[in-house]
Amino acid sequence: MTAAVGLGAGAAAAAAVSGAPSASDARTASPRHRGRSRARESLAGYAFLTPNLLLLGVFVIVPLVSAVVISFQRTDGFGAGTFTGIDNYARLATDPVFWRSTLNTALFTAIVTPLSMLLGLGAAVLMNSVLPARGLFRSILILPMAISGVATALIGVLVFDQNNGVLDKLLKAVGLPAVEWQSGGAAAFASVVIVTLWWRVGFNMLIYLAGLQGISPELYEAARLDGAGGWQRFRFVTVPLVGPSSFFLLIMNVIYSFQVFDIVFVLTGGGPQNATSVLVTYAYNNGFVTRDQGYAAAIGVVLLVLTLVFTAVQWRVSRTRDLVD
Amino acid sequence: MELTRRQILIGAGAASLPLLLAGCGFAPPATTSGGGATGSSGGAATGTLTFTTWGTDAELAGFRSAIDRFQQANAGATVNLNAVPYAQMFTNIDAQLQAGNPPDIFRVPYYTFGSYAGRGQLLDLSTYLPSGFSDTFTPAAWAAVQNKSTPYGVPHHTDTSVILYNKAALETAGVTSVPTTLDDAWSWDEFEGVLQKLRTSLPADKYPYAANWQGNGVTRWLSWLFESDGRFLAEDLVAPAIDSDAGRQAVDFTKNFFSANFVPQNNSVKSTTLASDIWYAQTSAMVSAGAFLIPDAASTLDFEWGATFSPRNVRSAGDFGGNALVATKATANPDLASAFLQFVTQEDEMRQFCAGASLLPTRADLTASGIDFAVRPELSPVFVGQASSVQAKDSGQVTSPSMSKIITVLQDQLEQAFVGGQSTTDTLSAMTTGIAAATAGS
Repeated sequence: MTAAVGLGAGAAAAAAVSGAPSASDARTASPRHRGRSRARESLAGYAFLTPNLLLLGVFVIVPLVSAVVISFQRTDGFGAGTFTGIDNYARLATDPVFWRSTLNTALFTAIVTPLSMLLGLGAAVLMNSVLPARGLFRSILILPMAISGVATALIGVLVFDQNNGVLDKLLKAVGLPAVEWQSGGAAAFASVVIVTLWWRVGFNMLIYLAGLQGISPELYEAARLDGAGGWQRFRFVTVPLVGPSSFFLLIMNVIYSFQVFDIVFVLTGGGPQNATSVLVTYAYNNGFVTRDQGYAAAIGVVLLVLTLVFTAVQWRVSRTRDLVD
Repeated sequence: MELTRRQILIGAGAASLPLLLAGCGFAPPATTSGGGATGSSGGAATGTLTFTTWGTDAELAGFRSAIDRFQQANAGATVNLNAVPYAQMFTNIDAQLQAGNPPDIFRVPYYTFGSYAGRGQLLDLSTYLPSGFSDTFTPAAWAAVQNKSTPYGVPHHTDTSVILYNKAALETAGVTSVPTTLDDAWSWDEFEGVLQKLRTSLPADKYPYAANWQGNGVTRWLSWLFESDGRFLAEDLVAPAIDSDAGRQAVDFTKNFFSANFVPQNNSVKSTTLASDIWYAQTSAMVSAGAFLIPDAASTLDFEWGATFSPRNVRSAGDFGGNALVATKATANPDLASAFLQFVTQEDEMRQFCAGASLLPTRADLTASGIDFAVRPELSPVFVGQASSVQAKDSGQVTSPSMSKIITVLQDQLEQAFVGGQSTTDTLSAMTTGIAAATAGS
């Protein structure tokens, strides 16, 4: 309610400043004039919206609807497909690789999202303190952001090659056994998570750093005067006040994790034995390797539904998150 | 006339649009300049063609030279080469075919050829090729560009795997001689003996062998099946035929590579580490490899290495690697496209291309007379000899329109057999089910 009143006052003030007709002016204007004015405003609004709506339609809505249509077909992409109803979805239900890929996607999301946020927040707190050479450290952490996912994964291949990789050579040099990063399922999954964290933590740190720099130092000073220790200041001042950043990063990290492709595709190819297969790599393999595009589209639609469900849940949560400010 | 800044920008944008589209691999189909091409009739051909391919530096240089000579021989003909990375080659081609603006000509591996030919995307060359054209090629090569007995391309070159070996590693293991003729190739038992000797002499983190069956190279595993005189498709090229004694021997023998520690565990079919890299790093003493590796190997390796024939079981065999050149059905100038395809498969053209790029010819005359690679020419007879062991009944199966799905079946099941502990019986049974599903409706 308060927000609505505030918005109303603000709008009125803005209208006065910009010279737009006030409520009293509107009352004195003729109905015909008011109608033309509203029409012109609407026209201008739609004119501004049109480019975005066109782009949205061509690159999002049309492909999305097409994917849903294709998911009900058996097609290799050439010529007209054959309508098969819900056959592709029924096949998903009994496809162990699909379920393995779904489980892997969920597990990847559940591990990478909190870890990358925690590490990002920890790094941001460090980089926001009096750490020496923090400019250099910030650059080092942010550097992976400048590299594409494919290039990052190629570096990962050099590190995690189980015959000649840097990591296993280091492990052996200190007397530890080599890890089967490429032929062991759990180790391969861990390698994907580690490379992803290396790639993503810098981004998380950057967002948190921006959030931290918006917190007034007086709040920390007040907390210190009230006897709060370092952990208490972090727990009761920092964490709540970077809530909007956390909310943004939660959304971004979850969506990224649902859509993970390049790192898995290059680093492990989904193997060994589908241990690192995720929904997007499985859809890619079906769509572009096996050329079973109807089935691939069905996997894509499932991914879309999962993302929509998550977004809907977060939409509800976001109403309370907005109150932080 | 004075141009405004806006006019210049619009003009520059319009001029650069075709370049941008071509750079993205979306060049529009060729337009003919009129005049008509003569194709098989032998007269000068005119018009413009777009030709999309990937390739090593040596292959692209070979294509450029061939295009220059074609254009000189046919005044008025232009071929625009569009070289793209292999990784995006077929997603681009598929998108262009679906959008109705494919290139006139493109290069395609034999195992992918069937996907296009069997789905009506390629130009039927029957009426464009002169009579007796098929006699030019080896039966295996000609079989590889057929779909239901109709030619949809020309076999430009082939490649097949032989065994490259690290001389010092073999000598240390007491393997002092290797087969020098196809007939003397190691039998499977003898090969296993060599692997065992190497296993004994090598440290635990080094391996006797690495197989090049990663990714779509899983078709190279079929060599072991063909060496046992087996088939994965029956003669109708639809029914699965892999559940046989030959299939059992092939799965058992190759599974043993992993259980006996003859290959590193990350040498499985879905590994992202290529077998050649394992051998380059001297992690393995031997590797199965195609001739296309020779230029890189010769320029980068600092150890002595040689080549010998792949082992034989019931008979010698090889994977039918390499690529065909095909014209798309939508080409605006089929005569000119056909003329180009005929030109690049002429004797001199094929010899120059294959020698420069270390690839094997598909013409019967060149296979018989031999060819000298520009790099390590003394290895040419090994590769050419191994290629002669490829039979038409083998290569004909690999060009099945369902091959892309069959490849997935082979990858999944061999991965389970090699590193997942799946029994040979279960593997063959699952392969049979998968192949039957893949070819259903063919």
